[in-house]
Amino acid sequence: MSVTHDEVRKIARLAELDVAEEALPVLAEQMSRILEYVAQINAVPASEGVKPFIPGPDAVRFRPDEVKPSGLAFGPAELAPAFKDGFFLVPKLGAFEEPEL
Amino acid sequence: MPHGGSWETVIGLETHVQLRTASKMFCSCSAAFGAPPNTNVCPLCLGLPGALPAPNEQALKLAVRAALALSCTVHPRSLFARKNYFYPDLPKGYQISQFEQPLSTNGALSYLSPDRGVVTATIVRLHIEEDAGKSLHDRFPRQTAIDLNRCGVPLVEIVTGPDFRSPHEARAYLQTLKQVLEYAGISDCDMEKGSLRVDANLSIRRVGQSALGTKTEVKNINSFAYVEKALTVERDRQMAVLEAGGTITQQTMLYDSKTNAVRPQRSKEESHDYRYFPDPDLPPLVLSEEFIAEQQTLLPELPAKKRERFAAQYALNMTDAAVITAERAVADYYEAVVHAGADSKTAANWVMTEVLADAKDHGEALRVPPGALANLIGLVRGGTLSHQAAKRVFAEVAERGGEPRNVAEALGVVQVGDTGVVAGWVSEVLAANPTEVTRYKGGEVKLLQFFVGQVMKVSRGKADPKLVQKVLEEKLAA
Amino acid sequence: MSDPSEALASAKAAADRISKAKRLNACLTPIKDLRKSLVAQAQAAHPSGVLYGMPVAVKDNICTLEFTTTCGSKILGGYHSPYEASACAKLKAAGALIAGKTNCDEFGMGSSTEHSAYGRSLHPFDKTRVPGGSSGGSAALVAAGAVPAALGSETGGSVRQPASLCGVVGIKPTYGRVSRYGLVAFGSSLDQIGVLGRSVHDAARVLSVISGRDPRDSTCEDRDSLRLPTVPESLQGFVIGIPKEYFPTDLDPAVRRACDRAIRLLKELGAAVREVSLPHTAYAIATYYIVAPAEASSNLARYDGARYGPRFNGSEDVRALYRTTRGEGFGAEVRRRVMLGTYVLSSGYYDAYYRKAQQMRALIAQDFRNVFDRGVDLLFTPTTPTPAFKAGEKLDDPVSMYLSDIFTVTANLAGLPAISIPIGRVKGLPLGGQIVGQAFLEDEMLEAAYALERVVPALEEA
Repeated sequence: MSVTHDEVRKIARLAELDVAEEALPVLAEQMSRILEYVAQINAVPASEGVKPFIPGPDAVRFRPDEVKPSGLAFGPAELAPAFKDGFFLVPKLGAFEEPEL
Repeated sequence: MPHGGSWETVIGLETHVQLRTASKMFCSCSAAFGAPPNTNVCPLCLGLPGALPAPNEQALKLAVRAALALSCTVHPRSLFARKNYFYPDLPKGYQISQFEQPLSTNGALSYLSPDRGVVTATIVRLHIEEDAGKSLHDRFPRQTAIDLNRCGVPLVEIVTGPDFRSPHEARAYLQTLKQVLEYAGISDCDMEKGSLRVDANLSIRRVGQSALGTKTEVKNINSFAYVEKALTVERDRQMAVLEAGGTITQQTMLYDSKTNAVRPQRSKEESHDYRYFPDPDLPPLVLSEEFIAEQQTLLPELPAKKRERFAAQYALNMTDAAVITAERAVADYYEAVVHAGADSKTAANWVMTEVLADAKDHGEALRVPPGALANLIGLVRGGTLSHQAAKRVFAEVAERGGEPRNVAEALGVVQVGDTGVVAGWVSEVLAANPTEVTRYKGGEVKLLQFFVGQVMKVSRGKADPKLVQKVLEEKLAA
Repeated sequence: MSDPSEALASAKAAADRISKAKRLNACLTPIKDLRKSLVAQAQAAHPSGVLYGMPVAVKDNICTLEFTTTCGSKILGGYHSPYEASACAKLKAAGALIAGKTNCDEFGMGSSTEHSAYGRSLHPFDKTRVPGGSSGGSAALVAAGAVPAALGSETGGSVRQPASLCGVVGIKPTYGRVSRYGLVAFGSSLDQIGVLGRSVHDAARVLSVISGRDPRDSTCEDRDSLRLPTVPESLQGFVIGIPKEYFPTDLDPAVRRACDRAIRLLKELGAAVREVSLPHTAYAIATYYIVAPAEASSNLARYDGARYGPRFNGSEDVRALYRTTRGEGFGAEVRRRVMLGTYVLSSGYYDAYYRKAQQMRALIAQDFRNVFDRGVDLLFTPTTPTPAFKAGEKLDDPVSMYLSDIFTVTANLAGLPAISIPIGRVKGLPLGGQIVGQAFLEDEMLEAAYALERVVPALEEA
C-alpha cells in the first residue's frame, strides 16, 4: 500500500498540518509501511457480517435540561492567546476563502 | 408565475431548526440567545482538552416530536457521528451530528402550493446535531472575532427531497414547516434570530426530462421573502446559462439581499471530506416504543387537523379557519372565547379583526382575556352595547383591563334596552313632531329613520337603536 | 493517617523524595511549585478521606487545577486547565495530595516516553534505558519510591507496559469503570485512567477511589466505585487460562521462564490452569493502529492555537495559524498518527480500514468472551515481550515500537480490565506478568494479583 507524495499533501491539508517538502519522502514511506502493516486485517474474511464492537454502556443516558454553572475556575479571557471585547481573536480567513454561512 | 420556455425548476431544502431547550445539546450551558459574548461557555463548548458530551433529554424529546409531527419513521436505535472539519467557530474541530443511522427518516409534509394545490413534500431525514459558534469577520480589522455562546445549541436538521417546483412553493413549504414546528412547541422558528436557517439546492431541467440537472447550493438566505427572491434569481441565472448553451457548475451560490443577486462562494482548495465516524464518546441513542408513543401523545393537534376541525365544528369557511389557526396561540384563544359562551361566528369575526389588529401593534400579545371578549360579545348580542361601542370597550380593556360591563358604564356607552324607558323617549319624540307623524302615516315611511335619529338624540345616544325602531314601528302602527 | 500534622509531614517528605528523583525527568512540575502546592493541599485536605495525606502523582495528560497540563506536548506548553478531571476531584475528596504531573509520550502516543517534548524520562535502575510509555514518568516515580502511587492512562497498554518495565504494579480498569472527564482524549473508545503503585494494595486503593459513576462522561457506567476484595488464602476454585498466542515460539526465553515460574505458583496457590486460544490475537496491533489514530486525528483537531495554548508565529490568515501551530506544536509521532488517522477515515479508505478494523475488534472481543464463557475466570500472560529496551533503540522504525504493545492492546480493544505485577528480573531488569479479567470483575482479578504478589519472587532472576 503505497502512499504518494500528493496524497500526503492532501491529508496534511485535511488535517491542517504543515509538512515541509523535505519531510514528505520519509513521511510517505513511514505511512506506507504502517498502512501496509495494518492492511493485513483484510486477510480475515470472517468479519464481513460482524457488527462493530462498542465498549461502554449499551445506550446513552440523557441529562435533565437544566442550566448549571460552567465549572470553570477562570474564563475565556484568561485562557485565550488573543481576546478583545469578550471575543476570541484569530487572524482573518485567507484571501482565497469565503466565510461559511 | 410560469417561467418562459419549457424549463422545470427542481428545488430541495435543508432546514436547521434550533430546539427550545434551556440548556445546550451536550452541556449544561444556557442555550439562550443574546447573552454577552463567550459567557454561556464551559469546557465542552470551548473545546478544552478532556471535555466530554452529555446529551440533553429535552432536546431528544423535542426532536422526536418534530419527527412525529412530520410523519417520519423514528428509529429506535440511532448513532451520533462526528463531522470533522476546521473552522474558527467549531472549537472541537468537529461537529457532533448524525450520519449513517439518523434519528428519523421517511416523513412528509403537505402544504398548499400556489401552483399545484395541496402537495406533499417528502422529508428524507430529520436528525439531531449541535450548532456552531459565530464568527464575526468585520468587527476587527484583519481579524475574525469568535463568540462561542451559540456553540452546542441543539438543532434538528430537516432535509427534503427535490420536491419543489418553484421558489414560491419553497417558501410556502417553509411557512407550513414553521407553523407545524411552532404548533408542536419545538422551536420559535425565527429566521431573524437564527433559530431557523435554510439552505437550498436548485437545478433546472427540460420539462419531461426525468434526470436531474446539475444543482447549485444557495446560501445566506435570511428571511422567508428572501427565500423566494434568492431562488428566483438563481433559477433565472441557470436558465440564462443553459439557454446560451453553457453548463451549470456545481458550486455554492451566496445570496446578497442588498443587490438581489447571487454569486459563487470563493471556494477553498478542495471540497470537504468530513470523515464521518460514530462518535466514540456517545453510546447509541436507544428509544423504547413507550417513549416514542409518549412523545406522540404530547404532540398537540397540528394545524391541518385543527383547521379542518374548526371549519366543521364552528361552521367557519376554510379561509377564516385558516386565518384563525395560522398561529396556535390565536387558535387556542379563539376556542377559549367560544367555550366561554360566545357565538362561534361572531367570535371568529372579532378575532380576525379587533384581536389580531391589536396583537399586531402590541408584540403579538392577546391582551383581552378570552372570558372578557366572550362577555363583550354577549353584551352586544343582548343589546346592551352597539358594535361601535363594543369596539371602544375592547380597546379600553386591552389597554387598562377591567370588566367589560363596568368599563362600558364608565365610558357611558351602555345602551338602554329597557322597553319602558325607550317607550317614554319615543312618545316624547312623536309628541314633539306631529307633522312628521302625519306624513309618516300618510305613506312617507322613510321618516322612520328621522324618528330613530330624534330618539337617539333625546336619549343622548344611549337608546338601543334596534329597540327604538321596534317601539317606533309599534307605536306608529297603532 | 488522620492528623493534619501527619498530612503535612507526608507532603514535605513527598516533595523531598520527588526532588531527589529529579534526574529521572519523570516529574514535570518545578520542585519549588510542587512543594508549595503540596503543603497548601495538606492543609486543606479532608482528614476523614480514605487516602488522607497520600501523595499521588498525576500523568500530564490528566487535567489538574494545581499544575499545568501539557500532555508532554509543545502545543499545550504552559496550559492551565480551568477545570480538573473527575478522577482528581475524587482523589482530593478522599484526602489525597496531587503530587505533581508526570512526563509522558506526547498525548499518550508512544511506548517509551521518548516522544515527550520535555525530554525523555529515564529508567529508574538504568539511565540508558526507557521506563516504557506512555505513562513512563508515573511508573518511574513510583519505582523510584518517590510516591506510593500515580495516575496514568491506557489506550494500548500505557500503564501496564511501563509498570512491567519499571517493576511496579499497573492496573487498567474495565472500559467505563473510571470517568474519562478531564483525561485528554487520544483514542476515546480505548482510553481509561489507570493506576501505578508500589503494590497491588496501593494501586487498588487509588483505583477504587477514582472509580464510579460520573454523569459528565457518557461512556462511564452507572456503577458504584470499585469494592476491594480481601487477600484470599488460596486461589482454589479459580480457573486461569493461558492463551497460547501470547507464548509464541520466539518469545524471549527469560520472559518465558519468568512466566512459567509465575504459572507454577498460581497452580500451587490452588488455581486450575489450562491452555486456551484467542485466535485473532495476531491482528490486534493492526486493528489498534487503525482505530486509535483515527479517533486521535479527530480528538486532536481542537489544538489549533485559537482559544488556548501557545500560538506559533504571527500568521497572516487563520489556516496558516492552524497549520503552523499544529505543524510545530505536535511532535513527529503525533503528526504521523494524526496523518494516519485522517487517512483511514478519509473518503475512499473508510470501509477498507476503519470499518474493517471495527469489525476485527468485534472478533477480538468475541475471542475473550468465548474463553470466559467456557468456565475460565482469568487469563495469565507476559505483559511485555522484553524488559526495558535502550533509549533510541526503537525510534527509527515506528512499527517496531508498536509491536512492544503486542500483549497489552487486546485488553484495550476488548474493554477488559488487566493488571501487571512484577514477576521477576531479567539481567537485573524488572519484568511484569499480566492478569486479564472479565468486564467489571476487577475484584476477581485483584484477588489473584494479591495472592500471586505475596508469593512471587519479583526480585529474583527468572
